[in-house]
Amino acid sequence: MTAERFLALVEAWGADPRRWPTDERSAAEAFAAAHPGQARAALAEAESIDALLQASRSPAPSLALRDRVLASAATAGLQARRTGRRWMDRLGLALGAGWAAAACAGVAAGVMLGTHLTADAEADAILYQSSLLGLDDTEVLG
Amino acid sequence: MPPIADPDEDLVRRVGDGDAAAIQAMVARKLPRMLALAQRMLGDPVEAEDVAQEAMLRAWRQAPRWAPGRARFDTWLHRVALNLCYDRLRRRREVPTETPPDRPDPGPGPDRGLLAADVGSRVDAALARLPVRQREAIVLCHYQELSNIEAAALLEISVEALESLLSRGRRALRAALADLRPGAEGA
Repeated sequence: MTAERFLALVEAWGADPRRWPTDERSAAEAFAAAHPGQARAALAEAESIDALLQASRSPAPSLALRDRVLASAATAGLQARRTGRRWMDRLGLALGAGWAAAACAGVAAGVMLGTHLTADAEADAILYQSSLLGLDDTEVLG
Repeated sequence: MPPIADPDEDLVRRVGDGDAAAIQAMVARKLPRMLALAQRMLGDPVEAEDVAQEAMLRAWRQAPRWAPGRARFDTWLHRVALNLCYDRLRRRREVPTETPPDRPDPGPGPDRGLLAADVGSRVDAALARLPVRQREAIVLCHYQELSNIEAAALLEISVEALESLLSRGRRALRAALADLRPGAEGA
């Protein structure tokens, strides 16, 4: 690898060798080891840009978005195959007559249930809620 | 051509079968990635949510008929989300009276410290002002951590052209954020 190629590679891909093209990574690392004087400045420059890029925070999906996306699985016609009905029967008992209202509340019920049930049951519950919100229960849940 | 190894293959199959736990796992694995991609491409949290939600809906529809070995599901999902972003970016250009999506660069205020949130906002604003193709290259390679081959394929360009976009984008960011770099006056 030439010095020119090493500088171009670092300028484009940054200082982290894991981001370098796999077919050039070994040669570039060997160049850096053999020419630390030349490599150091380029890597330091690239590292400062990498650090700035890392300062951009990735947004975390809100619970509301997560719930909408989970519900959309039923909308898309995915058929729940696991023992969701048994879980949902239990949920129905737990919530009693308030189940329909909880289904309308959507997110609130999902959060409340999430504190008491396993993640698996929560997913089933949200799918079930979505089915109550206008989809065909039989089609969605079997 | 040998089949393409896909770390999502088993999960996609289970989603296609309607496995509720797999659906939840897919949401945990992909929704943050799609949201981050859309947020950085569009710079608008509401539009980013819409794009992420639509991309995931298409994932649900695709899963039952997904043919493993031809492409990675994550790459396909990026293609879907990018196309949705392009649609929105195109719409913005066609409706010039709408609020410009790019946020103004707040710049280095006189008493601006180096709080992480400040730096993050500056970087986001600088990213938003990059030409779309340069922004896309940086988002796919740096933030989404796609390989150079995957990113180039998504952008429908050669790896060399992708490298050129990355270099120009990073140079533009370096110039825009010069005051934030170590050793800069006031930093």
